[in-house]
Amino acid sequence: MASASIPAYSSNALENSSTKNASRESLKMEPLSDMPLLPGEERVIDKDIIYICPFSGAVKGKVVITNYRLYFRSVEAEPVVTFDVPLGTISRVEKMGGASSRGENSYGLDITCKDMRNLRFALKQEGHSRRDIFDILFRHAFPLSHGLQLFAFLSQEKFEENGWNVYNPMQEFRRQGLPNDSWRITFLNENYELCDTYPALLAVPFKASDEDLRKVATFRSRGRIPVLSWIHPEKQAVITRCSQPLVGMSGKRNRDDERYLDLIREANGGTSKLTIFDARPNVNAVANKATGGGYEGEDYQNAELVFLDIHNIHVMRESLKKLKDIVYPHVEEAHWLSSLESTHWLEHVKLVLAGAIQVADKVSSGQSVLVHCSDGWDRTAQLTSLSMLMLDSFYRTLHGFQVLLQKEWLGFGHKFGSRIGHGDKNHADADRSPIFLQFIDCVWQMTKQFPTAFEFNDRLLLTVLDHLYSCRFGTFLYNCESARDANEVKTKTVSLWSLVNSDRSSYINPFYTMESSRVLYPVASMRHLELWVGYYIRWNPRIRHQSPVEQRYRELLALKDQYLKKLEELQLSGSAPRLSNSTAPSPASPTQRVTHMHTPF
Amino acid sequence: MFSVKPVKPTFKSYLPPLQTDLRKSPQPIKKLEAKLLPGEIVVNEVNFVRKCIGAESGRDDLWGKLICTNFKISFITHDTLPLQKFQYRSRLLGEHDIPLACVEQVVTVNDAKGKQKVLGSNQKLKFNPTELIVYCKDFRIVRFRFDEAGPESAKKVCLAIAHYCQPADPQLLFGFEYVGKQYYGSSGDRVNGVDHGGGLQTPLFDRPSEWDREIKRTGASEWRVCSVNEGYAISPSLPEYFVVPVSLADQDLKQYSGFFATQRLPLWCWNHPNGSALVRMASIRDPAQQRKLDQRICNAITKSHPKRSDVTKSDLDKTLPNIQDIQAAFVRLRQICVIEPFEESEEKWLSSIESSRWLEYVRAFLKHSAETVYILEGKRSSVILQEEEDRDLSCVVSSLVQLMLDPHFRSLQGFQSLVQKEWVMAGHRFLDRCNHLKKNDKEECPLFLLFLDCVSQLMNQYPAAFEFTETYLTVLSDSMWVPVFSTFLFNCPLQHAEHSKEFAQSKNIPLGEDKALRFPPVWDWSQQFTLKDQALFNSPLYVGKGATCVQNGAVKSFRRTKKSYSSTLRGMPSFQNGMAGEHTLDSLPRRNSLVLRLRPEFSQMRDAPENPSERFFRDWFSRPPDLQGLLLPQLLPSHLKLWRLYFLRWVPEAQISRGGPITAFHKLSLLADEIEILQSQLRQYKGSTPASTPAFTPGTPQPEHRRMYFKASSPQDDASPPEYLSSSFPFSPVGNLCRRNILGTPFSKFLSGAKIWLSTETLANETV
Repeated sequence: MASASIPAYSSNALENSSTKNASRESLKMEPLSDMPLLPGEERVIDKDIIYICPFSGAVKGKVVITNYRLYFRSVEAEPVVTFDVPLGTISRVEKMGGASSRGENSYGLDITCKDMRNLRFALKQEGHSRRDIFDILFRHAFPLSHGLQLFAFLSQEKFEENGWNVYNPMQEFRRQGLPNDSWRITFLNENYELCDTYPALLAVPFKASDEDLRKVATFRSRGRIPVLSWIHPEKQAVITRCSQPLVGMSGKRNRDDERYLDLIREANGGTSKLTIFDARPNVNAVANKATGGGYEGEDYQNAELVFLDIHNIHVMRESLKKLKDIVYPHVEEAHWLSSLESTHWLEHVKLVLAGAIQVADKVSSGQSVLVHCSDGWDRTAQLTSLSMLMLDSFYRTLHGFQVLLQKEWLGFGHKFGSRIGHGDKNHADADRSPIFLQFIDCVWQMTKQFPTAFEFNDRLLLTVLDHLYSCRFGTFLYNCESARDANEVKTKTVSLWSLVNSDRSSYINPFYTMESSRVLYPVASMRHLELWVGYYIRWNPRIRHQSPVEQRYRELLALKDQYLKKLEELQLSGSAPRLSNSTAPSPASPTQRVTHMHTPF
Repeated sequence: MFSVKPVKPTFKSYLPPLQTDLRKSPQPIKKLEAKLLPGEIVVNEVNFVRKCIGAESGRDDLWGKLICTNFKISFITHDTLPLQKFQYRSRLLGEHDIPLACVEQVVTVNDAKGKQKVLGSNQKLKFNPTELIVYCKDFRIVRFRFDEAGPESAKKVCLAIAHYCQPADPQLLFGFEYVGKQYYGSSGDRVNGVDHGGGLQTPLFDRPSEWDREIKRTGASEWRVCSVNEGYAISPSLPEYFVVPVSLADQDLKQYSGFFATQRLPLWCWNHPNGSALVRMASIRDPAQQRKLDQRICNAITKSHPKRSDVTKSDLDKTLPNIQDIQAAFVRLRQICVIEPFEESEEKWLSSIESSRWLEYVRAFLKHSAETVYILEGKRSSVILQEEEDRDLSCVVSSLVQLMLDPHFRSLQGFQSLVQKEWVMAGHRFLDRCNHLKKNDKEECPLFLLFLDCVSQLMNQYPAAFEFTETYLTVLSDSMWVPVFSTFLFNCPLQHAEHSKEFAQSKNIPLGEDKALRFPPVWDWSQQFTLKDQALFNSPLYVGKGATCVQNGAVKSFRRTKKSYSSTLRGMPSFQNGMAGEHTLDSLPRRNSLVLRLRPEFSQMRDAPENPSERFFRDWFSRPPDLQGLLLPQLLPSHLKLWRLYFLRWVPEAQISRGGPITAFHKLSLLADEIEILQSQLRQYKGSTPASTPAFTPGTPQPEHRRMYFKASSPQDDASPPEYLSSSFPFSPVGNLCRRNILGTPFSKFLSGAKIWLSTETLANETV
C-alpha cells in the first residue's frame, strides 16, 4: 500500500539529533530495536497492531510504548510508515468496539491528541488482545493520575547549554534600566507569601511601601497586585499587570488600591491618565461582580478604562475544537472559508492582536497602562507579552523570546499544568484551554507580516508547541513558579531552552534584520490574518513542510561563500586582473570591495 | 463599542505636523501644463481642483488642475503627496493620471443639492458638480472636489471625461493617434519613440519561423506550420500561421474549416517530450459532420503521436464556469475589497470572499489544468481542449497546463511568449473582454486577470520556480488599461491588421516600409518603465536553467541539454515501470475522462482501489518538487489565497507599513545582487590573462545592468527594510482609494440602481 503519508508522520521530527539510536546489544532480538530512545527512556510493551490511517487506510505494523512515547512502524507497507507520538501529547484514550463487534478493524483503540490529530488502532479480537496495551497506555500517558512521574523527571538527557540559565529576573530588570528613581525591586514575595502565583521578584512604584503592597493584595483577586512588566526606555511609560479588583456586588472601594494605581501613574512623570485595559468583554466584567470580582469604577479618578472584548478560556477551547473539526483528518473543501469563519478562531486571534496593538500604541505614545482580565494569567499574559514583542526588539531575538516566555508566562503563573493537563487523565477538565497556543499563533501572524523582524523562525514556534505537550522538558510543567520550585523542576529536569540553544542555527530566521528601536504594528485585520497551515494542518500528508523561500536564501548564502572563497583563491594565486583606475574611483581589489558589501546575516 | 484602532498607529507616524491649514485657500496656480504624449490633445481643463487624499479630513488634499485629454484624466499639482514615500512611475502616465481606458464609472455629485449622477457618454448634467468620483478598472477610487473651481468648467471636464472614456470606435482608442504620430519621425517629439520590435526578445508568433522554433524546442516532429490562413483567407479569428499535424494536408484543412465555428481549425499548443500533444479546438457546428470530422482530427493527432496513443477530449464549457459567472464573481470581489467599508466588512470577510466565488473559480481552472497535465504526462495521451469558440476558457487552461509542464514558460521571455501564443495569437477577444469601448457589458470578463491570479497562486506555492515576480503580474494586468499596446487592443490578429491599415490610410500616415501601423507589444517594457524600474520584475529566488544553486554544499548548475528534458520531468519513472502504464488507459472512460477527482474522499477510498490519477498526484506530492520540472498546484482550499497585492494594494487600512513579503524579498534581492557581482568578478579572473587586456574595466557591472531592483550597498547603509516598503509596494494607497460616505450612508447603497457596481446584490443582503 503506497502511502504519501510518510513524510508527514516522520516529520514529528522536530525531534532533534539528541535523540539517540539505542541499538543496544541486549535489545537486538526485540522488535523495532532500532527505534529512537532518549536517555532515560524505557520500553514498556510492544505489540502487533493495525494502524488505521485516515489518509491511506489500514496499515499493519508494530507499536512500541515506552515511558515517553508511542512509536509505530509498518511491516508490510512500502514505503514504510512510521510515527512517533510523545505520550504527553495524548489527551484521551478510548476503547473502540467490543469483543463481539462485527466488521473489519472494528476492535481497537482510539487516541485523541492535544496537537490536532487523532490515532486509531485495530487489534485482533481474540483473547482480549488490547487489554494490556490499553492499561499501559493509560498509565503512562496520564502518569500523574496513577502516581507515576512525568517523563521530564526520568529523562537523563544532557545538552551543551543549560536552558535554566536563560532567564535571570534581576538581569532582565537591569536590562530595562530598573531599579530607577521611580521603580524599585521588592523581595517581598521571595517566599511566595504575598502572592503564591507571582514570581519572587517584583518591580513596583518606588513610592509604594511593602505595607502598601500587602494592603493592595487584599483587594486584588488571588493577591495578584499591579506590578511592572515593561518600561519604555525613553518615555518611562510602563506596562503593568494584575488581576481584577474585588469590587463585588456591593461595589466596594479600596482607597489603597486607588492610591496605588495613582502611584503607578505618577511614576511616569505625572501623565494625566493611567489607561486600564480590561481584556474582557464589558458584560463579562460586570458578571464577574457576582463572584466578588469586577472592574475599576468611577472612583479611580485618574484612570480610563477600556474593555478589549477578548473572550474567556472556554470560548477559546470550543473555538479550537471547531477548528480541528474542519482540518482533521480532512480539510473541509466545499465551504472552506465560511467554515473557517464559523470557528471564530481567527477572529479571536484578531481581537487579541488588536488589544495588544492598543496597549503598545498607548505606551509608545508615552502613557502608562495597566492590563488585567479576571485572574490576570491568561488574556493578560497574551496582551502584555504581545505588546512587549511589538515594543521591544529584544524580545524578537531567539534569546529574548525565551526571556519573554519565562517572564510573562511562566513567571507570572499562566497555569500551564491546568491549561494543558500534563499527565492528567481528565480530558474534559474545564480548566483546559489553548490560550498559549493562541498566543503563539499571534506571534506567528506577526512573523508573517514582518518576515525580517524576528530572529527566530517557524520551527522554533513549532518546537515550543510540541514540547508544550511532550513532558520531555520541565519548562512548561506546573502552574506557577512556586510550584516549580517546590517540585525542584530546575534541578530535576532539563529546560526546553537547553535543546533549543544547543542547536541555535536550526531556529534562526535567515531574513532577520536587527532594528533596535522599531515598534511593530501588525495589521489586525481579517485581510491579513491567515490560518497557520504549517501547524494546524501539519498532519495532512498533502502538505509540504518547508519554507521554500527560506531554504533558497540559505542556498544563496552558501553560494556566496563559495564564490568569495574562489575569488580569494584566485587572488592569492596572483592571477589578479589589472584594474584600470581610470574608471574606478575605488582602487580596492575585488575581494575588498566585495567584503564591504552588506548583507548581514 | 470596541473599535479596532490598530490601523491608526500605522499611519500616525506619517502625518506631518498640524501646520497645514485645513482651510488653506487655493494658491494661484502657475504653469500647470499637462504633459502630453505624441498624438495627445487636451479636451477640457479646470483649475483650482482639490484631489482628495485622506478619507475623512481634507488636510492632505492637493490643489491643482484637472485635465481631460484624449488619453487620460490628468491632475497636475505643485503639491507633493505628504504620505507618499515611494512610487513606481510609468513613462506614459504621471503620478495622478488615470488612463481613460481604465475608467470604469464616472460619478458626479452635488453636495448642496444632494444630487448625484452616473455619467455616460453624450449625457447631460443638470447640476454643477461639487465632486467627481472616478471608479477605475484597476480598483482605484479617485475623488476630486470642485469647491473652489469654476462651476461651468468643472462640469465641462466631467462631461468630457464621461464622453471620452467611451470611444465609439476602436480607432478612437488613444493608441492609434499615438502610434500614428511615431511615423512622423523628425518631429523631434519622440519621447517614447517606438522601437519597432527591434530589440524585443519575445516571439510574437506572427511569422512561420517563430512557430518552427517552438516546434523544434518541444520536439514536435510530427507537426508542421501551415499557412492556409495567410491573409486570413480561411478564418477571421485564427492567426495567419499556426501548427497542425503533418498528416493533414492544406487541402484537408481548407475542407474541414467550414465545419467549425468561425472556421477555427484545431490549433496545436505544445508537445510533451513523451510525444503527447496539447491541442485546442472550437466546436463543430454541423452535427451531421461532427462524428466524422472528430474522428479525422483525432486520427491525425494520434498519427502525430510517436506511440500512436489515444486522444482525450476535454470539454471546457461543461466543467468550467462561463464568462458571465467569472465577471459576476469579479464584480462581487471588487465590492468586497474596495467598496464595502473596511471595518464593517471585517467580521464577515472570509465568508464574503467565499460567496464571491472568485477563489473557487481560480481553483477550478487550476484543478482542470492539473488534470489535463495528468493526461499528458501520466497517461501520455494527447489532449484536445474543446470550447464553443476556443477563445476564452481554453486560453486559460492551455496556458496553465504549459506553465505547469514546461519550465521554459516560467522564465520571463517564455511567459511572454506563452501569453502571445495562447492569448493574443489564438484570438482572445481582449477588446471585448476588456470592454474598451464600453459598448457591451455582457461581453466584459476579466479572464486574463483570472489567469494571472492562477499564476500568482502557483508562484506563491513555488516562488523559486518563476523568473518574474508578483509585481510583474500586477503591472502586466494594469497594462491592459493603457490602450497603446497591440497585446490588449484587439480581438484577434485580423482585427489588428485591418484597423491599423485603415487608420493609416484614412490619416495618410507615411508608413514607410510598414504595411500598417505597428503597435508596440506590451512586452516592450521600455515603453512604460525605465530599465531600473523593470528590475522589479526579476525574482531573486529564481532557480533558472542557467542558474546555479547549492546542494549539499556543492555548487551545481542547472544548465541542461534538450535531450535530458524529459528525464527531468517528474513523475515519469513510476509510469515507465508499467505499474500504472498503458493498461490503465482502458480502465478509464475515454471521452470526458476529466471526471477524475483530484482529491478523493479518503474515507471512501479505503476499500476502492486507488485511481491512477490520484496515485499520480499523490506520488508527485510525496517527493520534493523539481523546480525545473513538472509543477502541480496544491489545491486544498486552505492553500489558495486571495491575491493580496492585486486586490488590496489600494486599501489604506490593509497596508502593512514596512512589512509584508516584500521585506523578505528585499533582503533576498540584496544577496542575489551580491552574488551577481561576485559572478561577474569571477568571470573576469577567468577571462583575463595579465598581458591581453590593457584597458581593463573593473568587475562590478553598472548598477542599471544588474538584475535586482534592490542593490547590495555600501557598508554605511543599513540593510534594514527601507521606510517606503509596505505590503502594497510598489503601489501606494495614498490618494488612490477614497471611499465616500454620504450622510452616513455607505456609498454603494446610495448609488443603488446604477450600473455595474450595484448590479450585484449588496453584501448585506447576502449575509443576512
